[in-house]
Amino acid sequence: MVNFIASRLLSALVVVLGVSCIVFLFIHMIPGDPVEVMLGESARPADREALREALGLNLPVLQQLQHYYAGLIQLDLGHSLHSSRPVLDLLIERIPATVELALASLIVAVIIAFPLGTIAAVRQHTLWDQGAMGFALIGVSIPNFVMGPLLILLFSVTLAWLPVSGREGFASLLLPAMTLGSALAAVLSRMVRASLLEVLSEDYVRTARAKGLSEWRVVWGHGVRNALLPVVTLLGLQLGVLLGGAVITETIFSWPGIGQLTIEAIQRRDYPVLQACVLLISLVYVVVNTLTDLAYGWLDPRIRLGEG
Amino acid sequence: MIAKHLLWLVLLPWLFGLSACGSPPPEGLRFAIASAPVTLDPRFATDATSARINRLIYQRLIDFDSANRAIPALANWQQLDERHYRFQLLGEPVFHNGEPLQASDVLATYQSVLNPATASPHRAALKLIESMAVIDSRTIDFHLNRVDPLFPDYLVIGIVPGELLAAQHPFNTQPLGSGPFQFIAWPEEGRLQLKRLSDQRPITFLRVKDPTVRALKLLNGEVDLLQNNLPAEIVQHLAEQGMQVERRAGSNFSYLGFNFEDPVTGQQVVREAIAYALDRESIIHYVFAGGARLATSLLPPSHWAGHPDLTPYPYDPDRARERLASIGVDREHPLTLSYKTSNDPFRIRLATVIQQQLGEVGIKVNIQSYDWGTFYGDIKKGGFQMYSLAWVGIKTPDIYRYVFHSDAVPPNGANRGRYVDPVVDRLIEQAESAASQQARIAAYRALQEQVFNSLPYVPLWYEDHLSVARPEISGYLLSSDGNYDGLIYVQRH
Repeated sequence: MVNFIASRLLSALVVVLGVSCIVFLFIHMIPGDPVEVMLGESARPADREALREALGLNLPVLQQLQHYYAGLIQLDLGHSLHSSRPVLDLLIERIPATVELALASLIVAVIIAFPLGTIAAVRQHTLWDQGAMGFALIGVSIPNFVMGPLLILLFSVTLAWLPVSGREGFASLLLPAMTLGSALAAVLSRMVRASLLEVLSEDYVRTARAKGLSEWRVVWGHGVRNALLPVVTLLGLQLGVLLGGAVITETIFSWPGIGQLTIEAIQRRDYPVLQACVLLISLVYVVVNTLTDLAYGWLDPRIRLGEG
Repeated sequence: MIAKHLLWLVLLPWLFGLSACGSPPPEGLRFAIASAPVTLDPRFATDATSARINRLIYQRLIDFDSANRAIPALANWQQLDERHYRFQLLGEPVFHNGEPLQASDVLATYQSVLNPATASPHRAALKLIESMAVIDSRTIDFHLNRVDPLFPDYLVIGIVPGELLAAQHPFNTQPLGSGPFQFIAWPEEGRLQLKRLSDQRPITFLRVKDPTVRALKLLNGEVDLLQNNLPAEIVQHLAEQGMQVERRAGSNFSYLGFNFEDPVTGQQVVREAIAYALDRESIIHYVFAGGARLATSLLPPSHWAGHPDLTPYPYDPDRARERLASIGVDREHPLTLSYKTSNDPFRIRLATVIQQQLGEVGIKVNIQSYDWGTFYGDIKKGGFQMYSLAWVGIKTPDIYRYVFHSDAVPPNGANRGRYVDPVVDRLIEQAESAASQQARIAAYRALQEQVFNSLPYVPLWYEDHLSVARPEISGYLLSSDGNYDGLIYVQRH
């Protein structure tokens, strides 16, 4: 297991370094000049050059990359070109909001998807199945920028139960979490259904039934746990997506997360912030995928055999 | 089991703790804005939101009247000779820390802006300052390296305490000025809290990017007031729901710009055809719901140097077709043009309407929308045939040199269309060196006529400013440049 974890962590490190390098080079290739954004069009060429020099933007790109990695080793992500604030502070400010929203969305998705997918599988080809999958189809089909305002209209404007937007307490978390969670629940419930149907047709389930176990114990004890593998994979990937920032949902609900910070950094050509955001997102993906791999081993002991 | 307890340990403070944080005091006012301020340091503020909020926190030497003439704010002035101005502080201005605002603070502020190490974006506009000298605690002299009768108009930087400047105080996050509002907190980018000094009433600026959500927050009572950046349909809905809608004519100038180095848009006849083919009155009526005025020039007619007698190009598709026919363009042989714009949904909507109207006269338009950085980069490089943009917050007529003089091709200015007209160059220089105000006005009017006729821009409209407030809010006065000074007087009943 130790070798397994070590090899995973090593490959994760290579991926993160590779991604940060590619992103660094790509960002410097896209059109738009941060010095123009900071000084405006009317600035004198001499002032532009002075600022470019002060920011280190006059150096060859490879040298800038070298400085970037040197800073990275000391956890110095530089300063925002836009607000002059340390990038690390900006990230630390935004991460709690993103984590809150990601976890809450995941909880909403799991609460909806597991019962829905299980009912659909156990009651296959009945109205229950069709109803649950119909719900899933609607959930997948409605984009967040439609679902968000619809939920606001219902819960905030019509019923006046929840705030429209902002991050002002638990109540303000519910609508963005429902918006993100419902779309994820739709995908997840279909996955739970398909996976559970496959497992329920296995010989060992037939054996469990032949032993006289109740249907409840057959489904929950033998079916659901074994059906979890692909579901956990999907959950892991989706958690990566959610932690990377849900740009549209964050914008609709004025949720001050990583997604909004990334988009703003792109619009402002704020290289250090953008690099840090992408690095964080790739780090999240790698960590989540590594944890997913490790969860495999926990859920299915046969996978651990692979380590020899 | 342990995991379950840990989960509760994480969730409980979150459930109970967070629900109390962030809500403004009940007597406070909440103002929704589309974008957060970038900096609260007046030496660096260039975006509209930062400039408007900085006006509340800091005072500046001069301000502008309704015709955009410079008027005293912190100080009045005398022109002692062509290159020598003396400013004298008015009243007894005091910083929010209780220290008096003195001439030495003015000196320190402007010295800091002019210091290349500060990298202030305002340095370029003030490069004509040769030297400054404090005469006494209330008087400061400015000596210029060239004659510029508009010099007082440039002194709009908020004054910061010199002592704190020397101590490298972080004004961008902890502003300290002498304006009507004092800084309280900026706990997150999208939430800024100020206090109105006249009655100690807190005001919270909340960033809500999405216009629909901004309107819904107003309806739901989560904000009290908002200003601009709302589609006409939403404004109408808010009015129907009993919200107070106020409008005021604005001076932000929207236009279509052309590339003079392009073989198609470089032709006067093509630009004229476009000017005649656009039904701008219908666009204002249907897309803006009447919330804009036809424009003829970069400066509005109410500006002291504006031209009140220019008549907008009429909507005349037949004349547009005639112009195009003269270069062999008709329905069978259409002209194809690319039209660059930003990816803002409203700008794309306008571009689509313009595309349809130009299509009617035989000009096939390909809309290319990009994110702001890419779009702006292309425009500056001259990588376009036609584009649309707006000039925001124009106060002084020296904008004509910056935009239309042949020396002002980027990076030396904003002559993005590479427009070269010796008559325009001469008129700009004539206006700048005019001996009297009357002569200056006459030169600027002649200049505007020349630009209007040669069409480096097709003038579109000046968008109105708009505020929407809940019924219990009163006293918010909209300004012609869209600033937030109305917050000085606003009340809740």
